[in-house]
Amino acid sequence: MSTDLLIAIIVTVVGASTPILIAALGELVVEKSGVLNLGVEGMMLIGAITAFLVTFFTGNHYLAILVAAAAGVASSLIFGFLTLSLSANQTATGLALTIFGTGFSALAGQGYSARPVTLLGPLFPAELASHPIWRVLFGYSALVYFAFALVIGVWWFLKRSRAGLILRAVGENDLSAHSIGYSVIGVRYMAVMFGGAMAGIAGACFPLLLTPQWAERMTGGRGWIAVALVVFASWKPFRLLAGAYLFGLVMTMELYAKASGGPLSAIPAELWAAMPYLATVVVLVLISIRRDASTNAPACLGKPFLPAN
Amino acid sequence: MLENIALGMDSKIPSRELEARIRAVMNQYGLLLDPHRTVATLSVGERQRIEIVRALLLEPQLLIMDEPTSVLTPQEVEQLFTVLRKLAAEGCSILYISHKLHEIKALCDTATILRGGKLVDTCDPKQETSRSMAEKMIGTGLKDIVKAEGRTFGPPKLVVSQLSTVKAGHFDVPVDGVSFTVRAGEILGIAGVAGNGQNALLDALSGEIRGDDREAITIDGLGIGMMDTTERRRNGLCAVPEERNGHAAVGEFSLSDNSVLTARDRLGMVVMGLINGGAAKTYTGKVIADFAVKALGPGSMAGSLSGGNLQKYIMGREILQKPSVLVVSQPTWGVDAGAAAAIHQALVDLAAAGSAIVVISQDLDELRALSDTLAVINMGRLSPARPVKDVSVEEIGLLMGGVHGAEAA
Amino acid sequence: MMQFRLEKRREPSKAMLYGTPIVAVLLTMIVGAILFSLIGFDGVGAVREIFITPFTNTYKWQDLGVKAAPLIIIGVGLSIAYRANVWNIGAEGQYVVGGLAATGVALATYQMTGWWILPLMILAGMAGGALYGAIPALLRTRLGVNEILTSLMLTYVSVQAIYYLVRAPWKDPMGMGFPQTRRFAADALLPNILPGTIVHAGVPIAIIVALVAWFVMSRSVFGYQMRVVGAAPHAARYGGFSENRTIWLAFLVSGALAGLAGALEVSGPFQRMVPGFPTNYGFTAIIVAFLGRLDPLGVIFGGLVIAVTFVGGEIAQTSIGLSNSATGVFQAMMLFFLLAGDLLVRYRIRRVTPQAEARA
Repeated sequence: MSTDLLIAIIVTVVGASTPILIAALGELVVEKSGVLNLGVEGMMLIGAITAFLVTFFTGNHYLAILVAAAAGVASSLIFGFLTLSLSANQTATGLALTIFGTGFSALAGQGYSARPVTLLGPLFPAELASHPIWRVLFGYSALVYFAFALVIGVWWFLKRSRAGLILRAVGENDLSAHSIGYSVIGVRYMAVMFGGAMAGIAGACFPLLLTPQWAERMTGGRGWIAVALVVFASWKPFRLLAGAYLFGLVMTMELYAKASGGPLSAIPAELWAAMPYLATVVVLVLISIRRDASTNAPACLGKPFLPAN
Repeated sequence: MLENIALGMDSKIPSRELEARIRAVMNQYGLLLDPHRTVATLSVGERQRIEIVRALLLEPQLLIMDEPTSVLTPQEVEQLFTVLRKLAAEGCSILYISHKLHEIKALCDTATILRGGKLVDTCDPKQETSRSMAEKMIGTGLKDIVKAEGRTFGPPKLVVSQLSTVKAGHFDVPVDGVSFTVRAGEILGIAGVAGNGQNALLDALSGEIRGDDREAITIDGLGIGMMDTTERRRNGLCAVPEERNGHAAVGEFSLSDNSVLTARDRLGMVVMGLINGGAAKTYTGKVIADFAVKALGPGSMAGSLSGGNLQKYIMGREILQKPSVLVVSQPTWGVDAGAAAAIHQALVDLAAAGSAIVVISQDLDELRALSDTLAVINMGRLSPARPVKDVSVEEIGLLMGGVHGAEAA
Repeated sequence: MMQFRLEKRREPSKAMLYGTPIVAVLLTMIVGAILFSLIGFDGVGAVREIFITPFTNTYKWQDLGVKAAPLIIIGVGLSIAYRANVWNIGAEGQYVVGGLAATGVALATYQMTGWWILPLMILAGMAGGALYGAIPALLRTRLGVNEILTSLMLTYVSVQAIYYLVRAPWKDPMGMGFPQTRRFAADALLPNILPGTIVHAGVPIAIIVALVAWFVMSRSVFGYQMRVVGAAPHAARYGGFSENRTIWLAFLVSGALAGLAGALEVSGPFQRMVPGFPTNYGFTAIIVAFLGRLDPLGVIFGGLVIAVTFVGGEIAQTSIGLSNSATGVFQAMMLFFLLAGDLLVRYRIRRVTPQAEARA
């Protein structure tokens, strides 16, 4: 394999895995606080359409990312209000949020589906970003570096900061965190909003980083894969990084299999398209065989907090 | 573990400094643990040590401990005592609450004995014997239940031999080689401190935990050790677990639907896969009437009943099935005196009709009034059953505290 | 400061239980009209066209039945699974596989005639859906893998299976290159029951399925098992019901019903397998099941309400040019309001002052 091809693969994989990584890091923090938000896919679609529209009308990519994050927070607040303030079923509410995001984004994007926008350019100057070798390090847009920083940031927050310690305590044992005097609901609201912001930014990656346009359901289940990745990574940020790149590889493998002309190119395109989802199932199976994975799940995950009972 | 301790501290301390302080305290008192281990991987005893370290970090003047050794092994108890003696020597006051008399004797300088929330006596445990303190603790003026004279028991009905379960979780206490026999018409009481394997014993008998030895449990000679709960019920064994709402009954279901839960097979409530709602309703009505359950009717939600009424309903639901063997755990826990008396009477009547009954309880008065024979469970092991007349309260108290008969004498 | 506090009701409120779905629909209409107006659409028009016109236009009634039938069939299956706390959200995939299995039979018997072909297709569809549902059930009971994620991932896989089959092995030889199968032979088509309309045999089948499911859920040991495992798993074990067995049954039944809907759709409205076969019925049926309060009879109501929004969405598309994705927004709003209202079934809201709180 030539160096050029290798670099091309790495660059594509990093791009493809970035939205999954960002969304999964957000969901990881949410789940660490004991909340299961299955609305990631819906929030990502809302982020994607918002980012597209802002870019389309202003041409300002960074504004688009910010607004997408805000839209993600707003949609996560629907979830937060229903599950945290009204103790509604988290599974059902998350599903409802995904259905809502799918419909809402399609509605908002009505009539824009063939309009092009520009991709967010590389962060570093062209000498580095377009260099045949160094582009493997410097050829990406700010969103990619943001994802890297986020891995470290989330790890540091959960492992080293006091706020992260409180968040984990809330997720592991809400009643005792409550008895020490922390606001369980307040902490969970913050976590859910953070997850919403990250899902919004992850959604923004689609029109700004991958395909410079809007298409209905353009996230294509990546939000669900992000949820699965959190389980796969046993709630650890650095494992999430590895998992996201693994999925990025699976998602882009088709291109190279086709190009190589070898026996792999005989595999039908549909099987390649199904690969990330099959891989998710396989990965979930493998992770469950290794028994320690499930024991690492936050103890209060998905359970409403009802101190009165 | 470091994090667990940090969470309980009032102010923010850098984790490096906190770790140093934890290590200092640990060395000083000989409590050796690695601060970086995950709490879930620790034994219960080790977790207890974390709690103590956490308390010691705050440099207390008074340390209050409530049954600290209930989850510790004998070796861990010895370690704990060493630490506590050292602390006391440094001027810290310690209030140590326990029912284990030999611990009090070994550790304490003065002892206060409470019974039913009332002060009974204050004494110097070094001057007293375990027996004398047990007598004060349990009280001797207990009124025995009047039972029919000359009661005779039939042949062995329920025979349990070498019944064991597997440890199911960090906090599970499995039963270990339990054997006993209950004859027709006999009530066997099983005493013990909470968390000594009572739950596992009930689940293993009811069939919620299925064994791998058919002959470990037999009813009238029929091996039922490998059957599930439904098959065991069909063969005459009914059980009532300790937790009412969510285990013995479904709070969201009507009483009628709750009758279907355990009585559907024995009372023909199922015909060709369909539930005969009328039969369930009639039976529930009978339970409500016979056991004076305060409920609007068979359609009332189980969760809307008070604890005592729900317990009367549950006991009635099982007793009116006329099981040949009935196993109950805490039959009158949290139940008012009138309801408790009614439940006791029903159990005695069921035994008089020829059933074998096992009552697992922490209430010694209840067991002494109710049982014909008595055994004590401690750390998953069961002492030999003896006629209740021949066992003194002192002996029961000692057995519950883990001191076996031979040693106490 | 005024505070609100939740107080658990002794018995769940029956009025709230059956009232909240209706209130949710009404709130969706009101809030939907306001929201759509705010973001620049004709909000009142949208609500009128989506919720009212399908009733006033008698010609649209047959559409309602045809749209409601698959939703009711799938929704009944999901209501049974959710009752048992088994989260099958891959009904769309089981619906697709059911449709594919029926298509397989239709194509294999293309040259044959006989009354048995359609029943065989329907059986194949149910078996296909059940088998596809068996995968998450197997993974959950054997390995403890979360059924939400696996059942959903398998949905994406099933859609790719359609694309592959209609592009290559099952492609219509006379189809001028379109990726679709040939139109089924006459004996493989679902008959219409009302001449001159599009109402097919699937409509009465849906009603029968709901009635049978209602009877089974309320009267049989199977239904009791589903309800007790969902309500109190510990008590269910005490009563002699195995949790794993329940998970299996829930997936097999809900999968088979989704497969049944798939077989009926492909042999009825579609008459052939096309790439556009996955129409989100499987996902929308989740809302149907909740609107119906996880009760098979309620699911008929839920299916009709959602069918109204589908038909109304199509009307609004042609009459006022509203994207039919607005339908999805209305449907999701209904579910939000319903979930919010759930709280009132089991709790009442009390206003308390901080002192009262402190005393309590």
